[in-house]
Amino acid sequence: MTRLTNISLCAMLLILTSCMKWEYGEVETFTASGNGLFICNEGNFQYGNATLSYYDPATQQVENEVFYRANAMKLGDVCQSMIIRDGIGWVVVNNSHVVFAIDTETFKEVGRITGLTSPRYIHFLSDDKAYVTQLWDNRIFIVNPKRYEITGYIEIPNMSMEQGSTEQMVAWGDYLFVNSWSYQNRIFKIDTRTDSVVAELEVGIQPTSLVLDCNNKLWTVTDGGYDNSPYGYEAPKLYCIDAESFEIERCFEFRLGDAPSELQLNGSGDTLYWLNDDVWAMSVDAERLPVRPFLNSRGTLYYGLTIDPYNGDVYVADAIDYSQQGKIYRYSQTQELIDEFYVGIIPGAFCWK
Amino acid sequence: MLLLLTPLHAQQDGERGRFRSSVEYEPISVVGARPIREIGYQQTKFDSLALKEGVSLSMADVLAFNSSIYVKSYGRATLSTVSFRGTSPSHTQVTWNGMRISNPMLGMTDFSMIPAYFIDDASLLHGTSSINETGGGMGGAVKLSTTPATNEGFGLQYVQGIASFKTFDEFLRLTWGNRNWQVSTRAVLSTSPNDYKYRNHDKKVNVYDEEMNIIDQYYPMERNRSGAYRDLHLLQEIYYNTGRGDKIGLNAWYINSKRELAMLTVDHGDDTDFENLQREQTFRSVLSWDHLRQNWKLAAKAGYIYTWLAYDYKRDLGNGTMAHMTRSRSRVNTLYADLSAEYYVGDKWLFTAALTAHQHFVHSEDKNIILQDGNRGIVGYDQARIELSALVSAKWRPTERFGMSVVLREEMFGKEWTPPIPALFIDGVLSKRGNVIAKASLSRNFRFPTLNDLYFLPGGNPDLKKESGWTYDAGVEFTVGNRERFSLHGSATWFDSYIHDWIIWLPTTKGFFSPDNIKDVHAYGIEVEANTEIALTKEWRLMLDGSFSWTPSINEGEPRSAADRSVGKQLPYVPEYSSSISGRLTWRRWTLHYKWCYYSKRYTMSSNDLSLSGTLPTYFMNNISLEKIFSLKKVDISVKGAINNLFNEEYLSVLSRPMPGINFQLFVGIILK
Repeated sequence: MTRLTNISLCAMLLILTSCMKWEYGEVETFTASGNGLFICNEGNFQYGNATLSYYDPATQQVENEVFYRANAMKLGDVCQSMIIRDGIGWVVVNNSHVVFAIDTETFKEVGRITGLTSPRYIHFLSDDKAYVTQLWDNRIFIVNPKRYEITGYIEIPNMSMEQGSTEQMVAWGDYLFVNSWSYQNRIFKIDTRTDSVVAELEVGIQPTSLVLDCNNKLWTVTDGGYDNSPYGYEAPKLYCIDAESFEIERCFEFRLGDAPSELQLNGSGDTLYWLNDDVWAMSVDAERLPVRPFLNSRGTLYYGLTIDPYNGDVYVADAIDYSQQGKIYRYSQTQELIDEFYVGIIPGAFCWK
Repeated sequence: MLLLLTPLHAQQDGERGRFRSSVEYEPISVVGARPIREIGYQQTKFDSLALKEGVSLSMADVLAFNSSIYVKSYGRATLSTVSFRGTSPSHTQVTWNGMRISNPMLGMTDFSMIPAYFIDDASLLHGTSSINETGGGMGGAVKLSTTPATNEGFGLQYVQGIASFKTFDEFLRLTWGNRNWQVSTRAVLSTSPNDYKYRNHDKKVNVYDEEMNIIDQYYPMERNRSGAYRDLHLLQEIYYNTGRGDKIGLNAWYINSKRELAMLTVDHGDDTDFENLQREQTFRSVLSWDHLRQNWKLAAKAGYIYTWLAYDYKRDLGNGTMAHMTRSRSRVNTLYADLSAEYYVGDKWLFTAALTAHQHFVHSEDKNIILQDGNRGIVGYDQARIELSALVSAKWRPTERFGMSVVLREEMFGKEWTPPIPALFIDGVLSKRGNVIAKASLSRNFRFPTLNDLYFLPGGNPDLKKESGWTYDAGVEFTVGNRERFSLHGSATWFDSYIHDWIIWLPTTKGFFSPDNIKDVHAYGIEVEANTEIALTKEWRLMLDGSFSWTPSINEGEPRSAADRSVGKQLPYVPEYSSSISGRLTWRRWTLHYKWCYYSKRYTMSSNDLSLSGTLPTYFMNNISLEKIFSLKKVDISVKGAINNLFNEEYLSVLSRPMPGINFQLFVGIILK
């Protein structure tokens, strides 16, 4: 029996050995000169696995998880959007309540803005002033990007905190236009000199995105809400709004149940693109919606879209099943597949360097 | 070295009619019991030592260290779900005194909200065996029960625990009984700010110079932010036994819980800016009547569950005002009724029949909004659903060495019926020497969508199909030993199951999640269990329990597109291997208890990518405790100390959810003799 005891004790000692480690990352050095494309991979909500990818269109090389690899720390939870100003990329990580500033060549962090509610997009007005829109907050945050500080707020009228939603921003002179998406139906006009809402325009239910074309016309597309929503459910619409008069000039109606999103413009601002299962394109001067898509879906689940501002190549992101590395397809203007590559989980937004 | 001292956990000793301490063992059991009602069962039963091992333990802790099923924990005193055989938590059915307690909105049970001290009898019904208890357990079922004490007169047990992170646990049990009546009141109160320290490897803190250039960065030592909890549980039991074959029981369990939801490791927000709080009040009650005669039994149960759930996510506006970002409320009322009968024909046949009904009424408010017309509106749903389940079975044991059972179950949820759900079980004694028994079973099974799957706004999908599947298993077990010195029991089971139309919630292009019948999954593998009990000397005794599972759970659905790399891959967050070992060494009134559990690496992506955030590393956990019982004239006093996470591992169980490092517990218990 003594022998049995010894064997038992030895076995117990063996299993005490532990090798479970929460690894520190290792810092890698990058030098990404020239033009390139950042891809914001949202990751899964509440899992903190958002990542940033970088693609060089010239060499057709992609580097994934560049933020993690360059900084040895995670990007965060739900990477929502990114813009670049003067060689600094501003990466908005929604559920991490942070906007990271990174060097666009080394991908190293140079600073961060914190104290945000649920940031969605950032827009620069000057070197020391930018706006950050929010979800679940009825305020747009005013920040000083040089000091990474919050300096003020713009209160949105007739909007509760619980229903708060401000999204994409487009500048026109001293004014800024903002669409309001979640359980909302308005476009706001903000005077950037006074940081106040000076006008608002009612559109359809839930305008998802906003762009300004070469004719100084705003375009927004609504998703129409969803069936049984107390806020309403209607056919989505594409609106053309005159920036100066802030009035709707044209309205194109989709079918009930469609889900148009990701409204984009090409580099010259004369052609609109959007997702609605397929990829669609339309001249800004068109009088009716196109009947055939620019690109058909192929069992794909298109989630993000961008147009190369330099050559017009179309990049469309396939989220596949939302729980594996998504795939980017790069097409020419003649719908030829130029390249395809895997990035991170749920690629949703792009940013051109 | 820190003195390890521990609680006196006591349990009812039915034969002697009083509480007894955990170091008083029954004679070693070596009989391979094969009751006719359990022909072919693949089950894991938990002894009272495991259930009453610590007042602060939840059933999630007990299952993690005493079985090989996968416990997915989002943190200390945070949502913990369990899953069998490579399935999801919603494929695990949970019953308490016969009544299903899975939340009908979510279809799953939070095992961190079930104090192990409230459970007297627990068993796992693996795969097909769950059909005997309830439908819908594609992976299996967890069967939890309370049992009447057999006290004569008044009994009292009180345990107080003090632990790291300012954690306080209190347990009180009062009992009174006589030949006919048994009354028991139990209460558990657990509180903690739960602000354990950990090194955050997922983010860095920046050090800036005056020009706001980063001059240094480091991984911060942080506290678990916004993770406080206060859980109160009350359990009242009243049993009446006529002594002439009729028993009546009433169980009523009240939960009042207030838990903050801890911030992610990648959250750069200030915890004082936010309030992220979940509150729950649940009342569960079961009234039961058993009418036993020599060769037949009739039983009836009626039950009621009320659950109120509140979730508040608030933001400080900078002036001290906390404004709601999310305010959701839900109420669930469930009525339960069960009628069952058993009839023995001689000692070779047993016929059973049961009819069970659950009627749910759900009111869910997820968001308050201002409508387009300026009026207020609520995003939510009101739904009711009746769930019926009927079962008939015939169990036959023509000889002592062979048994067979045929079960037929039929279920109706709402207006939809399942096809008949058949199950077949057989077992046979291969060798009386060593009590070697072979078992095999097969069954069909279905799981209906939950109410949230169907009706949640936004995203609920009323067109969902029910999941369906087949499960097969076969195994062998043995029991050897003698009553005085030694026993060894072991089992090995192979299983193979297919689940079609697996329901998964996925994001949509409209910004919300929606469920769909996405996957076909093939889960298979092997479960091995072994336990031994050795009386080393007259005063030394060793008990070892071990389990191991190999559970490939493979997505075998059609690829969604040519780019889909998930087909043929292990499901995310399902470990392929898991194991646990629990060892208990006693000497006189001392008990040393060592617990260990292991999960192999878990993929976080359906494509099993090995990117930096694509896997969670292999998980090992070691806990140890030492207990001493002091027997005084009128009371037993126990002192127990425990160390959790013995090797102070820095680890995550789920991405971005930090777990505590080494932590300590001290318990003192008193039992009235």
